[in-house]
This record gives sequence, structure tokens and C-alpha cells, in this order.
Amino acid sequence: MKRICMIGVGYVGLVTGACLADLGNKVVCVNRDEKKAANLRKGILPIYEPGLEEIVHRNKEAGRLFFTTSYDEGVKDAEFVFISVGTPSGLEGEADLQHVHDAAVEIAKRLDHPLIIVNKSTVPIGTGDWVADIVRENMPDPSIPFWVVSNPEFLREGSGVYDFMNPDRIVLGSLSREAAERVAELYYPLQAETIITDLRTAEMIKYASNCFLATKISFINEIAAICESLGADVKEVARGMGTDKRIGPHFLGAGIGWGGSCFPKDVKALIHMATTHGTRPQLLRAVMEINYDQRKRIINHLRDILGSYRGKVVGLLGLAFKPNTDDMRDAPSITLARLLVAEGAQVKAYDPVAMETARRAMQDVPVTYCNDPYEVAKDADALILVTEWNEFKQLDMQRIKSLMRQPVLMDGRNIYDPPRMRELGFIYRGVGRGHNGGLIRNR
Amino acid sequence: MKKICVIGAGYVGLTTGTCFADLGNLVTIVDIDERKVENLRQGVLPIYEPGLEEIVRRNAQSGRLRFTTSYAEGVRDAEFVFIAVGTPSGAEGEADLRYVRQAAEAIAEVMDHPIVIVNKSTVPIGTGDWVADIVNKHKKNDVPFAVVSNPEFLREGSAVYDFMNPDRVVLGSLNREAAEQVAQLYLSLRAPIVITDLRTAEMIKYASNAFLANRISFINEIASICEALGADVKEVAVGMGYDKRIGPSFLDAGIGFGGSCFPKDVKALAHMAAIHGCHPQLLRAVLEINRDQRRRLVQKLRDILGSLDEQVIGVLGLAFKPNTDDMREAPAVEIIHLLQNEGAIIRAYDPVAMRNAKAMLDGVTFCENAYEAAQGADALVICTEWNEFKHLDLKWIKEAMRRPIIVDGRNIYDPETMRQLGFLYRGVGRGYGV
Repeated sequence: MKRICMIGVGYVGLVTGACLADLGNKVVCVNRDEKKAANLRKGILPIYEPGLEEIVHRNKEAGRLFFTTSYDEGVKDAEFVFISVGTPSGLEGEADLQHVHDAAVEIAKRLDHPLIIVNKSTVPIGTGDWVADIVRENMPDPSIPFWVVSNPEFLREGSGVYDFMNPDRIVLGSLSREAAERVAELYYPLQAETIITDLRTAEMIKYASNCFLATKISFINEIAAICESLGADVKEVARGMGTDKRIGPHFLGAGIGWGGSCFPKDVKALIHMATTHGTRPQLLRAVMEINYDQRKRIINHLRDILGSYRGKVVGLLGLAFKPNTDDMRDAPSITLARLLVAEGAQVKAYDPVAMETARRAMQDVPVTYCNDPYEVAKDADALILVTEWNEFKQLDMQRIKSLMRQPVLMDGRNIYDPPRMRELGFIYRGVGRGHNGGLIRNR
Repeated sequence: MKKICVIGAGYVGLTTGTCFADLGNLVTIVDIDERKVENLRQGVLPIYEPGLEEIVRRNAQSGRLRFTTSYAEGVRDAEFVFIAVGTPSGAEGEADLRYVRQAAEAIAEVMDHPIVIVNKSTVPIGTGDWVADIVNKHKKNDVPFAVVSNPEFLREGSAVYDFMNPDRVVLGSLNREAAEQVAQLYLSLRAPIVITDLRTAEMIKYASNAFLANRISFINEIASICEALGADVKEVAVGMGYDKRIGPSFLDAGIGFGGSCFPKDVKALAHMAAIHGCHPQLLRAVLEINRDQRRRLVQKLRDILGSLDEQVIGVLGLAFKPNTDDMREAPAVEIIHLLQNEGAIIRAYDPVAMRNAKAMLDGVTFCENAYEAAQGADALVICTEWNEFKHLDLKWIKEAMRRPIIVDGRNIYDPETMRQLGFLYRGVGRGYGV
């Protein structure tokens, strides 16, 4: 049992803190928001994450997991302090480090015993050194030793708990190998590959990994566009590529692109870092541009079919940026709704869990929220499948079709079988399905 | 045992034909180059590929593998005719299909029984349909045929292994039965078989190679950022590679990809995309980064040496990658040209590619070994990560050099060890800038 303090109860902090408690440690989670802390003490979570509520509840009951607004209480006995506060995108795409700075200062002020400070937040390369400087400047007694370790998180929303417990690898970066090894011990029960390296390299591993996954998706989306022109089917192309061991089958789903709180932020931040240090990250820029073009391409496709959006009713199936989350940050649905409304369409929408967060994220967009997919389909001129929730995969498509004013189905995630949809009488368009999507011009 | 004809005794045709013979089939390889065929009959191969010579000899002796210049002889009894001719890059990056057309016409003219025509060459999307049109137009006898696309995924240096242990076999055809007949040929390899339509199969080949090239350009872009920010790209790649969704392959930063496939295929795909109204910006970035990597190495040398004029540069490795003598699009060629343009004097060594390199490079002193290349050099450049360079006697090398400078274009050395040995050492993306 180690004594751990977790600064920040956002998505990463809460999952990490609760899971570390579940491994038998004593974890005190600190955050500044009174209401959040009070809610958490009552077992009310600020986010939706499958399985997390139960773990929070269990460890709270067992006396291993605490929530407080007081840094004093958190740092007092801790051997490890994890910083997992938000690092939003600044105006230029740079990561905004205000919260990291504040956390470092507050920790430093209370540093009266040796401490390992672990950075979980995704922070620009060099932040570990910067945090050490801040602590050094603000600590009352400079003779007390402390160490900074970078330990980037690789949790996916929707499977955060599983990912914590079954990591592909643990990355630890520090100037002190001993400190890194002590953090490694916390993860020892997970039996994962552990990479110990320097601070900057650890920080880069996080950015490079996320940027690579984003690149994979933009790559297959670029291929999808070419498939549409040349009459190939990107879904089968991805299957053929994915069996190559050097490529792998993951993140090769063509569609309307990525969103969420990680990929857009991390790609932008790495572009920003690269540019401000004199390199020209052209590949990352292409990745970014392709991603945001995907949203516009589907609007363009649908306009070609409908003629004009004026007075048309368009239904959105799915709003969250991906399935199994209520996260609406940088969700493609927001862009789609805005563009549709701007062109005079009436927008209806349904999402299994993200309706509340969607209402907040799209306060300025007039969207009619429906109770189920069939209500969305009613009198619609077109449906756009935006998020590949499982419940959309087995809809009663005959009923959907009979409810619609025009049977136009834009499948932004390629979840339906094109010949089957055409048999049912839909005007169906997937993404990059040149052959099966009926887009072949020269065949 | 099936009767197979393979058109083209180049790298792909020879490997494919020979391996099919080794699986027990009767294979005739047709090539219009008389000398090549004559040599092959004597067991002299036009290319170097580990293990291939032995399999050619074994199967030629057992009578399962024959070589001829005559299409009539090759196609006569064949059930399958594989087209494996070259598709060089044209002036605009488009694939030049002249040899495919010649093969299709020649097959059509001698075809007198039903055959399955299998396209092995990497050809633009839509070529399968085009080949069918050509055969229809030129056939002398009204016999049925089918066209199947069956892209090759052989790597030079391990082509025989790759043929025998494929990750997957891709077959595309409008005629499912024909695709399944071709699948039978591969059944004994126990690989997953993807059967799809012609255009999709053709695209799988381009997209796969383009993605692998993308991996290399991605890590090279990250390497540049690492240099600027003080991280070590080699460890970044290790950290990334453990992510199951990423995987460890093709994440080696360096002076970029070369050879006869990646540059050609990425250019061809970008070309196809562009002429069909797409804007392949990612593919273009992949190509441009790859070119830049070579220039960056020259720039590094210039930064260290001040000027390159009259400087003696030893170049270790010339082939585009280890275990091949292939010099096509090898980074070393471009690097040597750039260095020579700035007045550098080049001493070069490669374990097997010297003969091919001599035909492509003027004014280079070719050396007997790595130590001779280092003799009197102001800097050494590693262009190909041959194993024999990994355990050189670096103390000896340092003594032999005029200045102990190594620019390692393949990150084969440990920066710390090199510094301890007294070298001024620069890798690619290894954070020395900070």
C-alpha cells in the first residue's frame, strides 16, 4: 500500500485515482471545485465511464479513496503526487498549462517531505523540466528532495478502466532512474511492458502515439476519397491492409474522422511545438486538414443528392464523438449540425447517452432532440449516421425507410452493407465505397 | 500439380515462378531477353536474393522450372498465366504500362485454350479491366479467360520467405470462380485469403505500400521534432511500438525509404488520385518528407564541417536497404550527388551493391571494405544498416579518419558509446540539439 495524492478529478485523474485505489493503495483526490468533490463523496461522478462508478463506490467504502478540495490534506502524507489536471488547447493550438502551473505551485508550498511528482497530464515536451523549476522556486525548504516523473496516460474514453488495468505498456520518463522505478512499482501488479526513459522522450511518446493513430485514420480517409474516384471499396481495402502484420487492423475505419478531447488537441499541440521550434510538420498538418475536410465532404455529398438543404429535414444518428461515451468535445456532429443549419436545413438528432452533453455543447444550434432513432427518421429527407453506436447497427431499417420523406441514408461510419441498403430502397452512400457504394462513374 | 506460365523474369516473376515450382507445380518463365534466359538456364540469376539461386537450381534440375523467350511455349499448356513484368514510373509518376500491354497482347495472340490471367505486377487501379479489354481485342481464338489481380507483397532480401509465409493472399476478380482457382495455388501456404473485386485488390497493394511509407515519413517527421525538442526518436519509436494499435514495424527514423516499390507506388497512387480530382496531400507530404531526409543529412554534414568543398566523405552502405544489391532510388545515390555538387570527395563501400553502384555513380572511389572507406576521411556517413557495420572496430576507424565525425543515417550506433570513443556523432532524431 502506497499513499498517493491525485490532483484533478477529470476523466484521467478519476480513472487513475480510482484504479490505483483498487490496486490497494490509499488515494486522496484533490480538486478545487467544492460541488464536484461533494458529489464524488456521494458517489456522483462528473463523467460517464463504463464500470467506473462501481470502482469509485467500492474503494470509497473500503476507505482507500478520498475526495477533498484541500491540497493540505492531499499532499500531507503522500509519497506520490500525480498531476492530472486539464491541458486545454490555447488559441494557437498550444497546450494551456495554467492548471499544471497552479498544481505545481500548490504542491511546492506544502512540500515538507520527500516526494515523487508524477505528471499524467498530456503536456508539451519540456514540461517535466519546467514543473521541476516551478517546484524548486516555490518550495519553502530547498533541502527536501523531490523528483519529477512523466507517466503519460493511454486511456481511451469508453474503456478507461479496462485500459488502466490492461495497458499495452507503461511509459516512465525521469532524470532519476530510481524515482521512475519507484513509480514502476505502483504498476507492477499489471504485469505490463515498462519503458523507462528520459522526461522529454516520455512526453514525446504520448504525442507521437496519438498523432500516429490520428494519422492512420486520416490516411484511410485519404484512401477512401481515392477509392470513391476509382471504384474500389475502402472497407475491403482496409481489411486487406490490416492483415499485413506491419500495418495491423486498428484505426483503419474510414468515416467522418476523429474528434474528442485527445486527438485534435494533441495533434494541434505537436504541430504548434514543432513550428515554434523551427520545424515544418507537413505530415501532421495534412492529417489535421484531411480530418476536418471529412466532415465537409459528407455535407457536400448530401447536398448533391438533395439539391439544396433549404427546407429539408436532416436527422443525425449519434452525437458523441465516438460510441460508449457522452463526450461531445470536438464531435463531428457539432460541425455537421452547424453546417446544415447554416444552409437552411432543420436538424433532428438522437444519441443513446450524449443528449445532455450535446444540448450544452450546441446551445446556439437549433436542434430537435428525439427519443429514439425512429423519431429522428420521421419525415426526414435524409439521415446521417454520425456515431457507430451498436444500437444503430440492428435498426428496423424497413420501418426507418417508411417513416422518412426521402430514403436517403448517409453512412458516416460505414456500418451498413451497401447492397442490402440498396435492396431496401435506400439511396445509400458510405465513405469510400466506390464499388459497393454505387459511386462508380467509369465502370 | 498445376501448369503455370510466368511472364517476366525480374525480381517478382523469378521469385514467384520459382516458388510455385518448389510447391510442386510445372512452371515456365517467359522473358523476351535472350541473354537473361540463357543465363537462367545455366543457373545465373539476374538479381541477388538470398536463397533464390538454390531453389532455382533445384527446381530446374527436377524439370519443374523452365525458362524460355517464347510466349507460345510458355502459354501452350498453361492453366494460369501470371503477368509479372516491370511497371516503371513514367515522367509524371504514373505507372508505365507498356510492358503489361505487350504481355497482354502476346498472351492473347497465342492463347488457344481457357486460361486464368493473373496480374502480379503493381498496376494502377482499373488495369485489370484494361488487360481484359486488350486480351479480348487481340485474341485469335474464341476461348474464355478470366483476369485476376493478385498483388505481390514480397520484400527484397526476404522474398522467398515472404512468398512461403505471406501475411495474406489478396485476390481480386469479377469472376469469383477464377479467384478461387488461383486461391488453390496458395492453399498449402495456410495464409488468410482475401477475395474481393479487381479494383479493390489493386488498391490494397497501393494502400499497403503507401501506408508503410507513411509510417517511415511519420517517424522521420517526429525525428525532426525530437531534434528540436531534445527527445530521442529511437526510444519514442519503442514506446509507440508497444501500442498494439501501432506496432513496432517501419518506425525507424533515418534517411528514408528507397527501392523499386515505395517511391514508385506512392508516386503512382498520388498521380492516380490527382488525375481523378482528389488532392492527395498526405501522400505528397510522405514523399516530400522522404526527400527532405536526404537533404537534412547533407545539411548536418555541412553544419559540422563548415564547407563540404574538398572534404573527404566515407559512405558506408549504398544499397537502398541491407541484404540486397538493389540501388534503385537508394538514398545513398542522392546523398552522394548532393555531396559531390558541393565539392566533396567520396569514398564508398557496400558489401554487395558495389557492382550496381559503379554503373550509377561517377567520380567515387570504391573501397574494399569499411576501413578503407574511412581512411583519411573527414566524416563517415552510414547510408545502409548492413549488419557488418554494426560491430566495426570503431577505435581503428577513428584512428584512420582525418576527423572523427560520424553522421549515422540509420541510427545503428549508440550515441553515448560513440561520444565515449571520441567521435562527434550525429544520428537522426536523437535529441542532441538540446
